[in-house]
Amino acid sequence: MPTKKSSQHISQRYDDELAAVKSQLFEMGGIVEKQVTDAIKALLEVDSELAKRVVIDDNRINDMEVAVDEDCGLILARRQPAARDLRLVLTIIKTTTDLERIGDEARKMAKQAITLAEEGKAPRGYVEIRHIGENVANMLSQSLDCFVRQDVELALKVAQEDKAVDLEYASAIREMMTYMMEDPRSISRVMSIMWSLRALERIGDHARNIAEHVIYLVKGDDVRHVGLKQMAKTVHDE
Amino acid sequence: MTTMTVDSNTSPQSSQEATQPVADISSNGLDSSRDYRQTVGKIEVANTKMSMRDVNVSYGDKQAVFGVDLDIAKNEVIAMIGPSGCGKSTFLRCMNRMNDTIEGCVVSGSLKLDDQDIYDPKLDVVPLRARVGMVFQKPNPFPKSIYDNVAYGPQIHGLANSKVELDEIVENSLRKAGLWNEAKDRLDQPGTGLSGGQQQRLCIARTIAVSPEVILMDEPCSALDPIATARIEELIDELSANFTIAIVTHSMQQAARVSHRTAYFHLGYLVEIGDTDDIFTNPKHRLTEDYITGRFG
Amino acid sequence: MSRSTIDIVNRNLAKRYAKEKRFRLFGLVSILAGLAALCFLMVTIVSTGWGAFTQSYIQLTLDLDPEVLSISDPQDDDQWSYANYTGVIKKSLRERFPDVTSRRDKKRLYRIVSPGAGYQVNQLMQDRSLLGQTVTVWLPADDDVDSVIKGHIDRSLPENERRVSDKKLSLIDELVNSGQLKRKFNNIFFTAGDSSEPEQAGIKGAMLGSFFTLIVALLLSFPIGVAAAIYLEEFAPKNAWTDFIEVNINNLAAVPSIVFGLLGLAVFLNWFGLPRSVPLVGGIVLTLMTLPTIIISSRVALKSVPPSIREAALGLGASKMQTIFDHVLPLALPGMLTGGIIGMAQALGETAPLLMIGMVAFIVDIPGSFTDPATVLPVQIFLWSDSPERAFVERTSGAIMVLLMFLILMNSIAVLLRKRFERRW
Repeated sequence: MPTKKSSQHISQRYDDELAAVKSQLFEMGGIVEKQVTDAIKALLEVDSELAKRVVIDDNRINDMEVAVDEDCGLILARRQPAARDLRLVLTIIKTTTDLERIGDEARKMAKQAITLAEEGKAPRGYVEIRHIGENVANMLSQSLDCFVRQDVELALKVAQEDKAVDLEYASAIREMMTYMMEDPRSISRVMSIMWSLRALERIGDHARNIAEHVIYLVKGDDVRHVGLKQMAKTVHDE
Repeated sequence: MTTMTVDSNTSPQSSQEATQPVADISSNGLDSSRDYRQTVGKIEVANTKMSMRDVNVSYGDKQAVFGVDLDIAKNEVIAMIGPSGCGKSTFLRCMNRMNDTIEGCVVSGSLKLDDQDIYDPKLDVVPLRARVGMVFQKPNPFPKSIYDNVAYGPQIHGLANSKVELDEIVENSLRKAGLWNEAKDRLDQPGTGLSGGQQQRLCIARTIAVSPEVILMDEPCSALDPIATARIEELIDELSANFTIAIVTHSMQQAARVSHRTAYFHLGYLVEIGDTDDIFTNPKHRLTEDYITGRFG
Repeated sequence: MSRSTIDIVNRNLAKRYAKEKRFRLFGLVSILAGLAALCFLMVTIVSTGWGAFTQSYIQLTLDLDPEVLSISDPQDDDQWSYANYTGVIKKSLRERFPDVTSRRDKKRLYRIVSPGAGYQVNQLMQDRSLLGQTVTVWLPADDDVDSVIKGHIDRSLPENERRVSDKKLSLIDELVNSGQLKRKFNNIFFTAGDSSEPEQAGIKGAMLGSFFTLIVALLLSFPIGVAAAIYLEEFAPKNAWTDFIEVNINNLAAVPSIVFGLLGLAVFLNWFGLPRSVPLVGGIVLTLMTLPTIIISSRVALKSVPPSIREAALGLGASKMQTIFDHVLPLALPGMLTGGIIGMAQALGETAPLLMIGMVAFIVDIPGSFTDPATVLPVQIFLWSDSPERAFVERTSGAIMVLLMFLILMNSIAVLLRKRFERRW
């Protein structure tokens, strides 16, 4: 009979193991979030110290990815999770990969920040970086939020925002290219900005991936590569 | 499970849901307010072999199965899972009228095998059981030789006209059951001298010797070790090419491994039926999910 | 915490072991008491009964003179029947002891040979060509002589307190010294029917009576009992009627056996008019008595066949009949046979019901069929135990030994059957 405790497993340790790996993932998410905002900040404020710290801290994220994957592997081997639990473990494994990639992108941005600090500020592009960076950081934090709260509406919103970020990225790149044509001397610095924009766009994609994983976790349907309309249908159970 | 028990169990549950409308379960897309007395999933199949509608079974004043509707397709393996006392075995045993032997067991509703009513009072159970064979939980070979075990069914039904034909049936059945190589040199030795897994395969050979159309298996591996279980599961896979198989099992992993469709029973009701792939990754009913994820209890 | 637990456990340990030891001791003592009782019984029976298997025989040279036998016409069967066989013996004795002359002493002399010895001569002379010839034979001695030989008579007692006179003793001693009086294996005990003379009494009649009675009982009770058990266990619907029948069968098993005897007397003898004292009626009465035992044990045997075997057969499409006769019955049969044999053993030892139907009569003739008057072993024992002669006491115990042997044999067969056919499922 389902009771008040029906959300818990018969095995208390199974619950504990799942909770532990989940909290590890969320901790990792928190660190990644900070890495991204720090990288953006280092870029905007030309702070090479902060940028260096971001580069170094990326190792922590890599270690955490390995640890979470290992725990997930153990749960699969020991508990043979099914249904919701199976989806949870699969989602965690995929989400760690995305988070680790986001960490890598943040590191790339930090490296560009170090280059720019050495070569001097780029003449253009900071407005775009700030704007897209804000959007992407927001998306990332929302995607993690929707995972914690298992909120599919929010996940859908993240996916929709990614569309907007992609458009903004495209227009920013066009603008940068125009500028490079006008002033070829600044090409190398503008390229750094373009790389950073590229990294932000990738982070947005990964955040969208995480949101899609959350929809799969909650709804049980895979919404990758189906388009936003279909995704919305799934979320609203149509 | 009496009707009384079911009612008394549902009322606190519904009141609990009334007081806690937003549990974290409901937010994950499963409909927690859905009544388990209504089956979730598609009952009908193409190419129907057996068709059950509104099946009720009771032992005396205790009802064990409540209004179950279920179709079984030709050559499919359907698994029935659920906690102990959920009526899955009782339901299975209706399909070849093995419940007839139980005193005070009353079955109502329509059960059809190829459009023939199984519970038609004019129907003879002997040919029915030749068409719908059964393998039991505990390996139960007759205390006779391996040969006699397999030959018994064909003999009583007169399927073989000569010794040569009978030999052929025995060999074929043992081959299909994957026991021929182990047993061919000891056909005259008692079947009870085989190991547990071999005994169960002997029982399967004995069942398929009468060429049934449907094979019912009532927890066929619950008394076997994992290796023997794996061999039986492999055998079920092979047999599904020629037979329709309904299997009751306590092992959810087993149901996930061998079956095409899975039916989840709860307190005598068929709660959910669906493709095994869906049931084990994305069940629609909360009770099903709770059961297969080990949250029941 | 754990230390203190261990301390408490240790403190009580000695007490617990002592308790166990005491219990074992009680068990041992009770078993020994049982064994002692059994040994005592066996020792008394064997020590008194052993002598019944030997008997003193006297060697005599018989002159089968037609004149002494008063057979004038050897073709006349009547003359052969009424011939004076004892006369031949008496003549032989007189010739053996020519110094015995007085009429009283002669009478005593004749008494050393069994009064029934003429019957042995009669048997001998079935071969009519012996007429007129002289043969040397061993004839059974009188039971008093036998008692002297077996040392049951105290020679130190004064003559008037002894069963055997001094004169007779001297005759016996003389015969013993000349090797003409010997203890030999007691053929008569196993080949003769009952007799008022202990040395002529045997158990063959009773054994055959028991045999015929048991055959009747077995042929009737086993098929009926098994059929009833199969019906009740497998076919009968479970309702108030079958419950009622079951209770009554159990009650029947507890009814005192004499009641069955009264029933036999009333129904079979008085109503159906069957003859008295015959094994046929005895067998029918014993059938009534053993039927509940056989039904109950057969039902237990049927019940002990695992339901999985029935399910397997039914699941293959065997009919109820096929299931029972192909699978259930072969598995239950050893148990049923065991029950049957034990029932028969019980019937073999039964006395009371047979008394009521007249199987207690003094029957000398050995029964040859189911309708000849006969007695059975336990009744024979009962009859002999009433007789005061020392030789009958001996024979009573001897007969008990034979009866016990048969019982042990039957029970061993039952155990053997169970062991042999016991199957693992």
